[in-house]
Amino acid sequence: MMSGARVLAVWFAPALWLSMPALIVERGPDGLWIALALALAPLIALGAGSPRPASDEAEPVFPVIVLLVAIGVLLWANLTLAGDVAAWLGAPRWQGVAVTAAGGCLLTAWRGGAPLVPALLLAAALALSAPLAEVARAAGVGPIGAWARVAGQTAFRFPSTSPWVTDGRDPRLRGLLVFEEEQRIIAPDGGRLLARTPEGGGVTDVEWMLTPGQSVTLRAGDGLRPNPVPRLRFEPDKRVPGAPASGIDWAAGAPADWPRRAGVLVTLVFGALGLCRAGAPWPTTRATAAVAAGGGLLVLAWAQGWALYSILASPDLFLGGITPERFLALPAMRVDEPVRAALEGLLLAGGMAGFLASSTALRERLGALDRTGGGEIGRDLGLWAGVFTIAALASLWPLDAWSLTLCALGAAGSGLGTTALGSTAAPPGVDTVAGLTGLALFGILTAAAQVLAPGDGLLGAMLAYPALAAVPAACLVSVLGRATTSHRPVRSIRA
Amino acid sequence: MLAVTTRAKAAVLLVLLLVAFPVIAVLPNQVAAIRVAGLSLLWWYGGVIAPVLAGLIAVAWLPDATRPRAR
Repeated sequence: MMSGARVLAVWFAPALWLSMPALIVERGPDGLWIALALALAPLIALGAGSPRPASDEAEPVFPVIVLLVAIGVLLWANLTLAGDVAAWLGAPRWQGVAVTAAGGCLLTAWRGGAPLVPALLLAAALALSAPLAEVARAAGVGPIGAWARVAGQTAFRFPSTSPWVTDGRDPRLRGLLVFEEEQRIIAPDGGRLLARTPEGGGVTDVEWMLTPGQSVTLRAGDGLRPNPVPRLRFEPDKRVPGAPASGIDWAAGAPADWPRRAGVLVTLVFGALGLCRAGAPWPTTRATAAVAAGGGLLVLAWAQGWALYSILASPDLFLGGITPERFLALPAMRVDEPVRAALEGLLLAGGMAGFLASSTALRERLGALDRTGGGEIGRDLGLWAGVFTIAALASLWPLDAWSLTLCALGAAGSGLGTTALGSTAAPPGVDTVAGLTGLALFGILTAAAQVLAPGDGLLGAMLAYPALAAVPAACLVSVLGRATTSHRPVRSIRA
Repeated sequence: MLAVTTRAKAAVLLVLLLVAFPVIAVLPNQVAAIRVAGLSLLWWYGGVIAPVLAGLIAVAWLPDATRPRAR
């Protein structure tokens, strides 16, 4: 029971489970598949060999370092998400980061925090379920009916109650936002508006300096570039720019990109192996498997329901990139203000409880690798205060929490994933050399992806998901190392 | 020779459940888009059938064969 809760808490950090409804909304069936993979990855990891090293072996430093780095990046992703949520709700970014980091750090400092993990997970589940039930009640339709309504939409249009229509919001565009039909947009606070319009055979970049309340009309085919306008308002009942053409298009999704799907699968499965199983795995009892499977099913069901009801209530979700922080805010719907405030408070409390459970379980997971030190590394206040401080400072700069999560999982999978695969312990040093190979290739490809824009095909998939190349390379080194060292006596070469 | 455990078989089955999703999506004649009780076949599989099957597989075959030592 406790092991199952630990597996759930280590794996389902808020940056991961909040990405599930975001992926479903953004990519339709492709997103559903990734959400399914996220729910199944820890179960697949539980089925892996994960041998325990012999008790007389020297303690390997390499897995501890790799896991510490991966946990640091995961905390960074979660604190980035906390900053995004604060900014989305209108508070300064640093406040969200500081409050969340302080909570995580305090619980880490408390040695008796580990037994709280199941209670925190339960609190998160209850706090997140209540708003879903209310949204479903307000929609007046069950989940399957909600899917049918979304899939039956002829177009996704701004409702008159949308905050994008009533007050205006910062679109925080990451790329060009193309308009499907003519629309007048208003800048309530004024500012510099950047757009791109088709002219003849090419395109022209346009720039306007708007005074507060001034508007601009964009035609079909025009696009908004990332721009410094603090707020923009859109017309009600117009098509949401960036949304799928119709509900049928959303439900059918884009044609499958097989290399990228393989990249996602390798990153998630080996990331789960590295994070949950490498080194010192928890025993897999029936209760562990049942809790991990049941928890994963609940998270997936919540993500689907939240995604569907969110689209139904707020089709404007599609505007300007679908990001996880939007799913910790209640969709636009008619509820009394006290009820709305209570539900939004529950959502935030659920996210915070999930983060506290996750950070405590990750700390405990790292401590489990420290066998000779009795898990002291998991309770080293100086170390964890440093990790939280660095992660919090890095989170002040807005980045994509999902990309950071994938980076952490890719690094854990490339460095440690192969360690957990074998049915027997590898000869000394082999796992370290294999992990170093995988990690080096992962680092090179991650750096290359920043310079070269990932294109289509296998090479593009390897740049987008470096674990796709790094994990097989590490596996190959591991197999060769086991085969070579099994035929001759080995000197100790542990890192 | 590698020993193939029940847990390993369960892990392979879980991977196959995942791989089946994109395979269903590319079936000819848009079979995946056929609606049954209001939901398309693809969404039935990814949202309901595969997760439930995964849960059953996990509970039935993932636990260790030997009882873990008490800590």
